[in-house]
Amino acid sequence: MSAFLLFVLLGLGAGSVYALLGLGLVLKYRSTGVIDFAHGAIAMYSAYVFVNLRSTGVLELPWIVLPHAIPLTGGQPMDLAPALIITLVYGTVLGLLLFLGVYRPLLRAAPLTKVCASVGVMLYLEATAVLNFGTTSLATSPILPSDPIRLAGIAFPSDRVYLAGIVIVVAVVLLVVYRFTKFGLATRASAENETGAALIGISPTAIAGRNWVIASLLAAGSGILITPISSLDPTSYTLFVVPALGAALIGRFQSFGWTAGAGLALGIVQSELIKLQTVFTWLPQQGLSDGAPFVIILITMTLSARRLGARGDSGTWKNPKLGRPSRPLLTSIITFAVGVVILVALQGSLRAAFMSSIITMCICLSLVLLSGFVGQVSLAQMSFVGVGAFILSHLSGDLGIPFPFSLILGALLVVPLGILIGLPALRVRGVSLAVVTLAAAAAMDALVFSNVGFSGGLGGRSVPPPSIFGINLGISDGKVYPTITFGVMLLVIVVFIGYCVARLRTSATGRMMIAVRSNERAAAYVGIRVAPLKLFAFALSAFIAGIGGGLLAYQQGTVSSSSFAVFSSLTVLAITYVAGIGRIAGAVIAGLMFASDGLFVSFLDKVLHVGQYQMIVAGIALAITAIANPNGVASELAGEKGLALRFVRLRDRIFPQKPPVAGTLRAVNLAAAARHPVTPAVVPPVKEKEVAHG
Amino acid sequence: MTRLLDVNDLRVSYGAVVAVNDVSLTIDEGEIVGLIGPNGAGKSSFIDALTGAIRNRGGNVQFEGRTLDRLAPHAVARRGLLRTFQSVELFDDLTILENLQVAAEQPTFLSMLRDLVVPSKPKGVDDIAWASSLCDLDDVLDRFPQELSHGQRKLAGVARALAKRPRLVLMDEPAAGLDTDESIAFGERLRSLPGHGVSVLLVDHDMELVLGVCDRIFVLDFGSVIGVGTPDEIRNDERVIEAYLGGHDVEA
Repeated sequence: MSAFLLFVLLGLGAGSVYALLGLGLVLKYRSTGVIDFAHGAIAMYSAYVFVNLRSTGVLELPWIVLPHAIPLTGGQPMDLAPALIITLVYGTVLGLLLFLGVYRPLLRAAPLTKVCASVGVMLYLEATAVLNFGTTSLATSPILPSDPIRLAGIAFPSDRVYLAGIVIVVAVVLLVVYRFTKFGLATRASAENETGAALIGISPTAIAGRNWVIASLLAAGSGILITPISSLDPTSYTLFVVPALGAALIGRFQSFGWTAGAGLALGIVQSELIKLQTVFTWLPQQGLSDGAPFVIILITMTLSARRLGARGDSGTWKNPKLGRPSRPLLTSIITFAVGVVILVALQGSLRAAFMSSIITMCICLSLVLLSGFVGQVSLAQMSFVGVGAFILSHLSGDLGIPFPFSLILGALLVVPLGILIGLPALRVRGVSLAVVTLAAAAAMDALVFSNVGFSGGLGGRSVPPPSIFGINLGISDGKVYPTITFGVMLLVIVVFIGYCVARLRTSATGRMMIAVRSNERAAAYVGIRVAPLKLFAFALSAFIAGIGGGLLAYQQGTVSSSSFAVFSSLTVLAITYVAGIGRIAGAVIAGLMFASDGLFVSFLDKVLHVGQYQMIVAGIALAITAIANPNGVASELAGEKGLALRFVRLRDRIFPQKPPVAGTLRAVNLAAAARHPVTPAVVPPVKEKEVAHG
Repeated sequence: MTRLLDVNDLRVSYGAVVAVNDVSLTIDEGEIVGLIGPNGAGKSSFIDALTGAIRNRGGNVQFEGRTLDRLAPHAVARRGLLRTFQSVELFDDLTILENLQVAAEQPTFLSMLRDLVVPSKPKGVDDIAWASSLCDLDDVLDRFPQELSHGQRKLAGVARALAKRPRLVLMDEPAAGLDTDESIAFGERLRSLPGHGVSVLLVDHDMELVLGVCDRIFVLDFGSVIGVGTPDEIRNDERVIEAYLGGHDVEA
């Protein structure tokens, strides 16, 4: 029994970190409506600053190339107290700068725009840390006293107790401040009704800024406190934000008490599961402790969801603009032709980059359908892609199923997973849904992708190249790499999927989806079955993502689970959203311009040798594009027209024809004239011109 | 005349507050029935309860001889009982034509899959044309809701319900926000609905409209029916005047 108690106490360490970060997330959300995915990254960067001060007395600023290392002590280690104070101030200033530069311009933007900007900040900080501090993990000397405490026959480090104490104190202070002080009241007032608060003399921006700074201070503080418990490296620290988001979600991004409690509980459950694995050996030995808490979050959030969500879920939610594909077939043919020309024109690494772009387009199309048309945010999309890739590897490798069938069957097998992850969407909406699907992705990561039998462990699994009627469609053919045939196959498949999505947009199904996105309640009252429709969209989206996974597997030859890590889904959503998630063109732009291994970025790398700075550039570009184009790049480029319409315009200018009339509208008017001789009052006034001619 | 809707002892309570207190109401085929009452009388709760938004209500509701109890909103709509909203609630990302199409079409699972590849023939074209011409929307079919005047948006909301070819439409304050001329024109359109096989339950504050077009009127106050009758009977009912009309000057 005492062993179980020991693991409970050990779990307080990680639990405290989740709780502290979760409290900061709640603060940020309550005051600005931002779910800050960069919160963990700020903790990470502050932790590095602290560690460097303590070891060499060098203050590291968060940028590269420009001078960024300021020696403060002449190479001597700095004492605890000044290092602590400098780091806390550092975190505060960093938070303030980010607020002024990134989040303040977005205060009234759509929640997803804010998410994209924060993803940009996260990518930037993580990449900068990798360059400035390296990826080897650091261990540091403890800050809190950690002499063993003996209790009920077990000995455990006392810092866990201090940490939990700090969490409780912080939570209580926040609770008291926000319930009883004027500042707290003003924060709550401006969260409830920004206009109303402004009318009674509260500046919502100033309030939001202050809260943001307090939250950043908390992030820096938690970053410092974690260093002795968990060894410091850029990625795993940034990832702490996922369980913290889970804790904040259980607190509904509102309650400090629930968030702190949930954070601690998550840590304890994880720790206890490690113990249980040693007792019950039949339990899955991989990823259980990492994955199980997310499964718990997933289930509890789905079951306990209220009809009305938190801030940003209903009233303030702004939908991204939608495209209106006017000539899907023509556009597809043009796109295909242009694609083939590019394939032939490019060679070597740029041709391979173009192929990556095409595959990314396929993955982004799955999001255009799900998040663009139906308004359901999914942060588990790369999990679908990954499962699709591994299933294809099993089907074509072990079972020997031939090419087109293995790809299609593989994608079909992803569909049940899509429906399963879509189930929460029946009750959870908006940004909460984003966090729930992120939890699902984290669970998949820990439980499915870490399974050696399924994913082949670190080495990954190989995928035999596709071939049909004895023709090799693979990416390499003897000495040629990458082959044009493979590129053409990609184009055929992805352009066809794009055509289908465009078709869907203008069909009865598409109208129902957009109706649900616009107004679920009204949609139900005209007879739309909202729940099956959402699941249909999740299923279709998972299928498309599964195809994308298959294509990715063919391209890489060997798939490994690191390609489908939790944050890759976040990046895919962010680039699709920024490019224009309501349009097919958005997926194309995302693939060509924003994909990190896509054509544009690789071209930049070749010309400007961006190389190691690629992720930093990507992060900044993402944040700036989100601020500058809230509707997505594609919308800004296309306006209300599409590519084909422009082509038609051009053709009409060269070869004048009869003006095109929208088919359905004409059909309606004809039917109206034929079957219902309308009352004179409703007949449109006869134009003078026609009278003159008649 | 055949009975279309038969509501027996409908009861809705939120906690200790009884919003709809054992209300019984009938509508025959071809009738336009009014439901009036001061703010907070329970009119909206009544509509919500009828159309499936409030599932745990008391009493029972028969529609065309079949029960509507425990049906979800979409199922109620598919039976032919549609509603409109006080706050319009059009689909903002769709044109007016598409708004009507959403109501008129009813894709099956198979047709949804087919939609991915083959362009399907537009469905419900007659219904859409009928609803659109009846509500005088033919000229604005390719506009978006936010480009229309408030009056036109209200009409579009009604047209969307009509495009589903309902047997009965519950209209929640369709004339609120319309000016006098628009309201009169709307009343004329309403009067023509029974001729097309559509009955109406009209909930509105516009007394001239309600007294002008309805065959029978139910008066609700504090969740209970306090008066039923023809417009003339309602005009002269003491209790109704006291609770709602506030004097005899309405006739003027």
